[in-house]
Amino acid sequence: MTALQPDRDLATLPTVATGRRRRKADLGIRVLIVASSVLVAIGAAVPLIAVMATAFAPNALPRYAEFFTSQVDLTILRNTLVLGALVGLCGTALGFLFAFVQARLDVPGKKILHVIAMMPIVSPPFAVATATVVLYGRRGVISNGIFGIEYHIYGLDGLVFVLSMSLFPVAYLGLLGMLRGLDPALEEAAMNMGAGRWKILRTLILPLIAPGLVAPFLLLFVEAIADLANPLVLGGDYTVLASRAYLAVTGEYDLTSASVYCVILLVPSLAMYFGQRWWLNRKVRTTITGKPSGSVHLMTGWGRWPIYGLALFIAAIIVSLYGTVIVGSVTKVFGVDNSLTLDYLKEVVAGVGVEAVLDTLTFAAIATPIAGVVGLVIAWLVVRHLRRTAWLLDLGGTLGVAVPGTVLGIGFVLAYRPDRYIGDFEVFPSLVGGSALAAGAVSIVLAYVVRSIPAGQRTAVGALSQLHPYIEQASTDLGASPVQTFRFVTLPLIRPALLTGLSYSFARSMTSVSTIVLLVTPETKIITSQVLSAASTGRYGVAFAYCTVLTAIVLAGFGLIRLVVGAGASLHRTAKTERQKEQ
Amino acid sequence: MTVAAPAMAASATRETGSGRLQLESLAKRFNGRTGLVTAVDQVNLDVQPGEFITLLGPSGCGKTTTLRMVAGFEDASGGRIMLDGKDIDNLPPQRRPMAMVFQSYALFPHLSVAENIAYGLKLQRKRKDEIAAAMRMAVTSMNLVGLEDRSPHELSGGQQQRVALARALVVQPKVLLFDEPLSNLDAKLRNAMRAEIRRIQKMFGITSMYVTHDQDEAMSMSDRVVVMNKGKVEQVATPGEIYARPASVFVADFIGRANFLEAVPERVSGGMATVTVLDRQITVPAHPKATTGTQGALMVRPENARLVPVTNGGTGIGVVLRSTFHGPNIDYEVETTGGTVTVTEPGADPREALGEGVNVNVTFDPLRAYLLTRD
Repeated sequence: MTALQPDRDLATLPTVATGRRRRKADLGIRVLIVASSVLVAIGAAVPLIAVMATAFAPNALPRYAEFFTSQVDLTILRNTLVLGALVGLCGTALGFLFAFVQARLDVPGKKILHVIAMMPIVSPPFAVATATVVLYGRRGVISNGIFGIEYHIYGLDGLVFVLSMSLFPVAYLGLLGMLRGLDPALEEAAMNMGAGRWKILRTLILPLIAPGLVAPFLLLFVEAIADLANPLVLGGDYTVLASRAYLAVTGEYDLTSASVYCVILLVPSLAMYFGQRWWLNRKVRTTITGKPSGSVHLMTGWGRWPIYGLALFIAAIIVSLYGTVIVGSVTKVFGVDNSLTLDYLKEVVAGVGVEAVLDTLTFAAIATPIAGVVGLVIAWLVVRHLRRTAWLLDLGGTLGVAVPGTVLGIGFVLAYRPDRYIGDFEVFPSLVGGSALAAGAVSIVLAYVVRSIPAGQRTAVGALSQLHPYIEQASTDLGASPVQTFRFVTLPLIRPALLTGLSYSFARSMTSVSTIVLLVTPETKIITSQVLSAASTGRYGVAFAYCTVLTAIVLAGFGLIRLVVGAGASLHRTAKTERQKEQ
Repeated sequence: MTVAAPAMAASATRETGSGRLQLESLAKRFNGRTGLVTAVDQVNLDVQPGEFITLLGPSGCGKTTTLRMVAGFEDASGGRIMLDGKDIDNLPPQRRPMAMVFQSYALFPHLSVAENIAYGLKLQRKRKDEIAAAMRMAVTSMNLVGLEDRSPHELSGGQQQRVALARALVVQPKVLLFDEPLSNLDAKLRNAMRAEIRRIQKMFGITSMYVTHDQDEAMSMSDRVVVMNKGKVEQVATPGEIYARPASVFVADFIGRANFLEAVPERVSGGMATVTVLDRQITVPAHPKATTGTQGALMVRPENARLVPVTNGGTGIGVVLRSTFHGPNIDYEVETTGGTVTVTEPGADPREALGEGVNVNVTFDPLRAYLLTRD
């Protein structure tokens, strides 16, 4: 029986306007569309436009000529691109290594390896940077203490190392999904024709996966060149566009040249980001077929051990880095004076740091549900209810991750620092700076929301695409309005996506740096900017203590979200009965 | 085209007293990959209260799109949809008093059988005891007793189908819509469910619109069948009418099997035409459009034709090309001067089947043939 018939295919095509009035969209839908559009506009579009307006103002135009003739500036541009490319390569390689071990090798301890590979997601990136300096720097506990090398870690090598270690989980998750999605029947077919395990890897798996390596490369490239915290802590003389723009704002108070740097940074960022999306949406090779059949045959030969060993080595480095964060927060000067102390932790949870912890937690707690729900709603509108304008809202929701955080932060400063008056009447109060509304809290929460929306949106789009529209149509057909359908049918079914979205949102909010450092005011303190100042002044113990507390809060947040949303029970039910059927 | 359904209409109105569905010049155009595609073209239909009408046609004929426009899932590009004389074009799906049974059943996987059935009633804010009563009724009449707490995926295909039907029925729709609801079931179950759906539909007297590409299903269930092709309605009539008096060569070919013998009418009068086919002059019923001297096609159903072997060395009108045994009957393909003709011999002994190359004559009752026009 053909499930999809041509007249069905037609039914999903966009309607053409034929001069007849179209039915007006449901009121609830229109409210949601307006609300999410306004949020995206205020949070992402307006700041971006503000940057553009400044960067292309008449007095800014000569700066481009200066930029492209200045040896210093050109070096910064080259540095940025080189960093992006190297992190893209190394991170993708690491991601593939872990995904391959996880999906294809018959080795012990894979669950633990998975947890280790996921660790960087919940910790602020400069935890790794700081730990790297302590362990592998000039006076590093391992590099100097064990091997006696005085390694100069500041610069490109250190940055590539730290960023690859911090960002590779993105590549890992994507590639793991892809490897698991490969139809085992293909491999069984190859085996059937006489190919051995390694032959299959070389002639079948690698060629099929190859196009899939491009997307994580591009994504890591974007994240690497957008990163601000690591170049500040670990860059040394190696300046990149993000840190240059940041210094232009905070050191030189020169918003015009900051905007120019932003625009130059935006070009590769947006190109790579949307290149990545285009690459993923191509329907060239459909390796992921409907229902994989057959069973996965894990590699059992001796050849698996070197691969496994390499993964273990990397895992050991990751563990050493995070171990340093924890140990460093309870020792006086880790590696030099290893005596136990609770002073740093006390400073954070009971001393001057308490304000930052509470502020950050409050802001993230406000932002997380908003971002999670808005991401879900945008995804639902885009997948189900919008036709010609879907791409626009989708794009808007994605800006929070496609646009480097530094650029967004500068956009906030440009757009929302001054009070906006029409005549004598204040129409839009200042959101950024010393005299800002709620001491800048509004803009910080807004930045958290905008930076976190894409995570929830992406998982929700994925989940919704798996959900057949007929399920929702059955609900409307029985008399439910679209919003009722969303509440009673769609939401319960994509609850796992909501769970993931909320968790990501919370983690991203708590660990966000690049946008936030430009928005903090003396009255509002944020953990990440506290870590940044502690780390750049060499107070590593305090930095580690903040990181430890931050990670603990993020993990506790995950638990709480799981408790509130429920742990995707509907999925478990399916799994259980599948097994029952087999018995 | 807008002939009122016989008999059925009168018996059904007693239940609901309403549910007349009218489509007027309904059209649907898409922006396809190759330009503007007309999926549904000027469809007119008048479905009587309580009538069971089936949209039948090959893939891509526009039947599902028509059904989805009636349900409100697709906006029409032109024309009107009326329910009991009122325009419903501007009502969203949830405001149309209709319920659909989907091909994939579209049961809510996170709700139990009982919760699925009660879903529409809860939206109507019915009282708890009303819901319970309606549920009992639906569960009993659909043979779902004891399955109320199961999850949809714990049910067999036929059970899921019955839950989908129960869920649609309890909201007391004025029109029931079916989108190939039986195509995911195996043959035996399909037959049982046909009877079941028809029984329930008659019991409640709900106007029903059923989409299928299975002619057997259409013929056995419907009061009237709408044969569609390329977005257009080819014929609307009772199953018997469609089979015996198809409106076009397409309908004759799509419904059942048919031989088409080239024929030019020598004389046409009173719905009968005189033609010469297979070397014999005969008088057959003719389509109203048939005219003297215009090329036509004489439809002869294989089961209405007979083979007569030519004995003692003579030659007949044709030669047996091939015989195929089907159990209840044997099919012969016969090469004749008028092309290859298929003849079905019911109840023949396969061991005495005529062999390849045997000379035969083909006979048929002229009154059971039908002359169509080539358009």
